Amino acid sequence: MNKYSIGEFEEVVMLTVAVLYENAYGISIKEEIENRLERKVSVGAMRTALNRLEKKGYLDSEFGEATAVRGGKRKRYFKVTPLGKKVLEQVMQTRKQLWDSIPSVAFDFKFG
Amino acid sequence: MPPKLATRFLRWFCNPSLIEDVEGDLSELYAEHENKNPLKAKIKYYLDVLLLFRPGIIKNFEIKNGLMNTAMIKNYLKIALRNALRYKGFTALNLLGLVVGLVSSMLILMWVNDEVQVDKFHENGDRIYQVFRNMKQSGGMVNTVWSIPKPAADLLREEYPEVDEVAQLSWQMEIEFEKGDDFWEEDGFYATPNFLTLFSFELLEGDVKTALDDLGAIVISRSLAEKQFGSDWKAKAVGSSIKIDGEGEAIVTGVFEDIGSNSSLQFDWLMPAQLYFNQNDWVDDWGNGSFRIYFTLRDEADLPVVEKRMYDEIITHAAGQSNSGEEYLIAHKFQDYYLYSNFENGVVDGGRIEYVRIMTVVAIFILLIACINFMNLATARSGRRSKEIGLRKVMGAHKSSISLQFFVESILLSFLAAILSIFFVWLLLPYFNQLVDRQLFIDFSQPNTWYFLGAITFGVGFFSGLYPAVLLPTFNIIRSLKGAVKQSSGAAYFRKGLVVFQFAISTLLIVGTAVIYSQLEFVLNKNLGLDKENLIAVRLGGNFGERLNTYRTEIEKIPEVKAMAASSGNPISYGRSTSSVRWEGMSEEGYEINVLLTDEKFVQTMGMEIQRGRDFNEQLTDSTSFIINEVLAELMGFDDPINKDLSFWGINGKVVGVVKNFHMRTLHEPIAPLIISCIAPSRTNMAMVRIQGEPNRALEAIAEVNQALDPDQEFDYEFVDEVYAESYESEMTVSALVKIFASISIFISCLGLFGLSAFTAEQRSKEIGVRKVHGASVKQLVLLLSKDYGMLMIFAFIVAVPFGYYFGNSWLEGFEFRTSLSPVLFIIAGAGTFAIGALTVGIKSLQAAKVNPVNILKDE
Repeated sequence: MNKYSIGEFEEVVMLTVAVLYENAYGISIKEEIENRLERKVSVGAMRTALNRLEKKGYLDSEFGEATAVRGGKRKRYFKVTPLGKKVLEQVMQTRKQLWDSIPSVAFDFKFG
Repeated sequence: MPPKLATRFLRWFCNPSLIEDVEGDLSELYAEHENKNPLKAKIKYYLDVLLLFRPGIIKNFEIKNGLMNTAMIKNYLKIALRNALRYKGFTALNLLGLVVGLVSSMLILMWVNDEVQVDKFHENGDRIYQVFRNMKQSGGMVNTVWSIPKPAADLLREEYPEVDEVAQLSWQMEIEFEKGDDFWEEDGFYATPNFLTLFSFELLEGDVKTALDDLGAIVISRSLAEKQFGSDWKAKAVGSSIKIDGEGEAIVTGVFEDIGSNSSLQFDWLMPAQLYFNQNDWVDDWGNGSFRIYFTLRDEADLPVVEKRMYDEIITHAAGQSNSGEEYLIAHKFQDYYLYSNFENGVVDGGRIEYVRIMTVVAIFILLIACINFMNLATARSGRRSKEIGLRKVMGAHKSSISLQFFVESILLSFLAAILSIFFVWLLLPYFNQLVDRQLFIDFSQPNTWYFLGAITFGVGFFSGLYPAVLLPTFNIIRSLKGAVKQSSGAAYFRKGLVVFQFAISTLLIVGTAVIYSQLEFVLNKNLGLDKENLIAVRLGGNFGERLNTYRTEIEKIPEVKAMAASSGNPISYGRSTSSVRWEGMSEEGYEINVLLTDEKFVQTMGMEIQRGRDFNEQLTDSTSFIINEVLAELMGFDDPINKDLSFWGINGKVVGVVKNFHMRTLHEPIAPLIISCIAPSRTNMAMVRIQGEPNRALEAIAEVNQALDPDQEFDYEFVDEVYAESYESEMTVSALVKIFASISIFISCLGLFGLSAFTAEQRSKEIGVRKVHGASVKQLVLLLSKDYGMLMIFAFIVAVPFGYYFGNSWLEGFEFRTSLSPVLFIIAGAGTFAIGALTVGIKSLQAAKVNPVNILKDE
């Protein structure tokens, strides 16, 4: 966590955007997170996160089609930018390094 | 369609670059929820919009359209400050009113909050129910008690699939602890093992699941552990054995955190219920009420099923038993019991909640009065600001920005008042705690405290600024620049209306105080049917019965003792009853009738009056003679009940006398039927000692006798009149509170009145001067200036009377025996308020009238 810092929720949002690939817009991201992580996500929290990530340049967005159920409003589709990908990789790497550095006995609970 | 209001709000605050898809997302969500539940969808939509109102989503107002001009706000603050400093007197008056109002309402609301929180800390709270027993009394009354036959608990546990856990808890008992030469007593309960898992009392040491499993176990409070084992109790307590009641021993299996005042169950020790059950066979009988029963439901929705099924379990199981009565079981939510503990004919009917409500209303009233002061003074003095308002308008200020200015001013003031109030609350809290017997404190770590403070500051600020902010911007520019704003008569009427409202509320509070006070006086001085003064109830140990005569001889030797009688309980708080009473021609069985076991001297010693027949007589063998009270005599229905056969507990006897009714419970309840019997003086456990002269000397002498005859037993006594007074504790607390806060409301109202009359006097100063020059006397002038306000107060009184009458009566209805609402009470309240108000106005008017007219008129 040196150059780029993102929070846990932001990381989840970015990963979900990547998972959904071409179908990542507000509601679908929210539902995906809710289903996979089994936690409630408010529109407000998610929208702020998306907005912030876009400002940082980790996400990019473009308008898609409008539907009747949305009151004629267009969807905004998100995708992860190359920079975003780099950040995610870095986060994973840091985690991995930490995991690798755990001495094998630390999690050996047989005698604990 | 999604709610329009929310959408408009969203469009207003949302960053334009985000609005399209955010709104789209929300409509999509809404459409999805709407199919399932339209109402929920709406609520969710509102909630989502509110949650979107956060930095990152809100557009940048300042740059975009300059609606919120911080420079202007700065200017408002500066002007507000200058104005406040320029008219120091008014500012102080305003601030004082607000601070007193805020402090009072904060204190009250803290108390209310504390009351409401009682018993709410249990994790299973919303699933815990307590079983109550409705016992049909003579005359169709129903008495509701919490002591339930033990087999009912076993039945609930084994045969009710809907019931999760069942815990039993004894009545409060005292046991003696000792350490070295030190002996002391602590209250506690016998409880079944799952009492600790069903409720959430915090166990510091030991295991909640097993702590009460062993018959020799005891779980003690932290303070008891500290007393017993010293400061390192943590290491020592669990596993150690302690001596109890002199002979027994118990092993400490757990230590719980001291029970705070937020629990209605108060105890310092718990012992296994089974221990008690093993020693007392009588609890296994369906006819005997014993421990309390608590149970949790697996599913709250099952309550009706459980209630319906348990309703006549007692009737079914106790049928045919001699001690069976018409009794039904009902369930009541445990966490509601503290506030709703009164049962009227077997149905919950209020309780402490009434006092909580009264006090909440008082708090709101006081705040209102304080806000009205601010409004009145601000509008009355608006003439002084008219030039400023005019100029602002000329410079292009919009009406809304002038409104904003006055809101800023009032919120600023209320903010200042709030800070001062917190300080004063902190200062006064120890005294207030003493008054209400609580340990309230301001918990700044709780977000709720901040929400509350924020809400109250803005609420008061907004409310008091409301009227000025609406009225002042409407001033005509030219007139206001000339400094000659004539306020519309509407505004003046409104102000007068507010004064009437203030004083009506104050009068109402004073009437309330007077009603509560007179009822308390009535209660405390009521002839209970026995003489409760100079009467000591001394508890006698278990092995006294046989030596009662020795004891009596010794006690009667004391010069300060007039007489002594033995009894099975304190007659003014007595509730031992049986349904085994039978008499000839009894129309219906199963009446619950109280039985008091005494010796022959009881009636005489207590100062009771025999209405017909005779008292017990030591010369005659009276062991099967009974004295009954008037209620029972009436119930039996004979023209003359004397010499009629009567039996209870299977003992046959005759009625020899009828004693005049005396109160065995609080005056909330009717008098119950009663049999007094001297069949077994040895089974009494209390000596009622009538004393004369110095009570302390009498007490010492009695203690000596007790000590000599029963050295192991601690001397335990109470003054009967004190016990009686204590049973009205909650009434007394509320009485004290209402008294104080009624005075405060008067005080605040008078502050406002003082300000208003000062203002009037100032406005009319020229008129006063001219009148004086023409020979008006000071008296005439004072009258002239005061009469308007006098009329207002009389009007306020007229408004307050019907409300006071209505509320006073409905409160009094909670008492079976009550004083009547006399008109004198209202007159005193009204006259008092009027006098104080008139004095306030009068002082200010007198000041104005005494001024030398030259000083006023010379400028013209």
